[in-house]
Amino acid sequence: MAFRRTGAVTWELSPEGGMRVPGRVFASEALFSKAESDRAIDQVANVAHLPGIVEASFAMPDIHWGYGFPIGGVAATDVDSGGVVSPGGVGFDICCGVRLLASNLDETAFRRHQGLIMGELDARVPRGLGKGSIAGKRLLKAVLERGAAAVLDAGFGVPGDLERCEEHGTSEGADLAVVSDRAQERGGGQLGSLGAGNHFLEIQVVDRIEDPEAAEAFGLAAGMVTVMIHCGSRGLGHQTCTDQLAEMGKAMSRHGIEVPDRQLACVPVRSKEGERYLGAMAASANFAWANRHVLADGTRRAFAAALGTTKLGMDLVFDVAHNLAKIERHMVNGKERTLCVHRKGATRAFGPGHPELPDDLRSVGQPVLIPGSMGTASWVLRGVEGNPAFATAAHGAGRLMSRKKAKKQHTGIEVKRGLEEQGITVRPGSVRLLAEEAPYAYKDVDEVIDVCARAGLAAPVARLRPLGVVKG
Amino acid sequence: MARYEILAHTADTGIVAYGSTLEEVFANAAFGMFGLTFGPPAAPVAEERHIEAEGQGLDELLVAWLSEILAIAEIEGLVFTSFRVAEMGQGRVVGTASGSPVEGVELAGPPVKAVTYHDLEVVETSTGWRARVIFDV
Repeated sequence: MAFRRTGAVTWELSPEGGMRVPGRVFASEALFSKAESDRAIDQVANVAHLPGIVEASFAMPDIHWGYGFPIGGVAATDVDSGGVVSPGGVGFDICCGVRLLASNLDETAFRRHQGLIMGELDARVPRGLGKGSIAGKRLLKAVLERGAAAVLDAGFGVPGDLERCEEHGTSEGADLAVVSDRAQERGGGQLGSLGAGNHFLEIQVVDRIEDPEAAEAFGLAAGMVTVMIHCGSRGLGHQTCTDQLAEMGKAMSRHGIEVPDRQLACVPVRSKEGERYLGAMAASANFAWANRHVLADGTRRAFAAALGTTKLGMDLVFDVAHNLAKIERHMVNGKERTLCVHRKGATRAFGPGHPELPDDLRSVGQPVLIPGSMGTASWVLRGVEGNPAFATAAHGAGRLMSRKKAKKQHTGIEVKRGLEEQGITVRPGSVRLLAEEAPYAYKDVDEVIDVCARAGLAAPVARLRPLGVVKG
Repeated sequence: MARYEILAHTADTGIVAYGSTLEEVFANAAFGMFGLTFGPPAAPVAEERHIEAEGQGLDELLVAWLSEILAIAEIEGLVFTSFRVAEMGQGRVVGTASGSPVEGVELAGPPVKAVTYHDLEVVETSTGWRARVIFDV
């Protein structure tokens, strides 16, 4: 597949075969060659086949092999010209995302209480295969309809939390009738839980500020201790995507759509099936917003219990999704169009002045949260004007090594010891699984951030260094 | 013949399952799906569940069968270790999954979230049947 380099950090594949638009990848030479060595690059070309896709099939610098879409894939379809929605462009973990809280503690204060705080978090953060912290059929219905607003009403968190959440923590258009009983049974008891795999809750300290004005607006300062939470919609989202993919397989032939990979199954946004999917997706997204909201509430309680005070700040910096499809207005060939923007392992990054941003952030742009791998830095960026990929930036470090290969390098216990030697306390759900999530299994996040900045996807604001990890 | 092998995939995990019959390859694919997360069966079988799934074509049917077993395991808090296909035909598969409670079982790999259609294959070979499935973990 002949991608050609079109700039310092841009690569392009001209349409060939059934591709409707070019493929466009933002990457350094090293990141691009990694994407080329697995089949992620082929997947960029496959996504370019989607009916109604406009401009290009994009990939972020943290691109890696997924199924159907690459992880880090972005595709926008023109809703008014037969543009499709594809559940595979959202993924099974619908509205998986990241939330960041800022405390008023500094590293010295945290270190003084590190054992106590990590112990409280260890005890209070449900993870692995376990159930969540709250349950109840009535609450589940409210959560699917109203997301974080429903759990706020139920006594979790503070009103300011909604202001600092993408979509204010509530995705519009949720259709409960499309969320199967099976999905509700599967996820119903899991609200307030991290899950497993690459999900985590991490204590981090701001070790460098790159953009003082934006950092101040976000509520971040050098030396400040923060908490990052990464998780999604748990079994509810997984089942919803499974249900919808099965339905869409049947519907595709009715709409005369063919795709190069069954996992790219799609239907027009403006169709009965398209509306059903978006309704189910919104309900699952609401579960995810609420899930992170409840976990943040548990985190605040854990810190308060460990330190004997609630005066710790712990304000929400922001909450972003990185697995979602959204109906947004963007300019295409000089005209404003209504697009269905799929971001699969990619973060929305609205630039300054966007009307959907909260008043106090509008002048600087949307916070973009990019976690690194366990034991390495994470970053806060801000959305910028003129983003070339429908206001989208990267979502993480991106996997480099298969789980199997990572496990061969070191055992979980060795990985834990290595992190603790660096002063990072680890409270794993399973020690054995730590080996698969070891820092060396992922790409260098600093390089991903550098490409984001050079490609004009987002601008760095602050670098965060880990102090403690609660793993799923 | 091995019942299944693990495939390396950068983001996720997949298996290739084998069977001398179509029924056996479906059972072994389910065995492999739980093997990825839990390793070899450790606890004796204590529970059995009826499984029924529908799908057009063998590929879709395999995804439906595995997805149904996965959902029941998660809802009921079970680890399934033994599978039997009793009936198969006309887009429908009926069988059982047996196992034990998940509580206290140590994970050998990441829990499977879902069954994907990516690179999916169910084919007849000179020695029987082979199925390739990639899971989202």
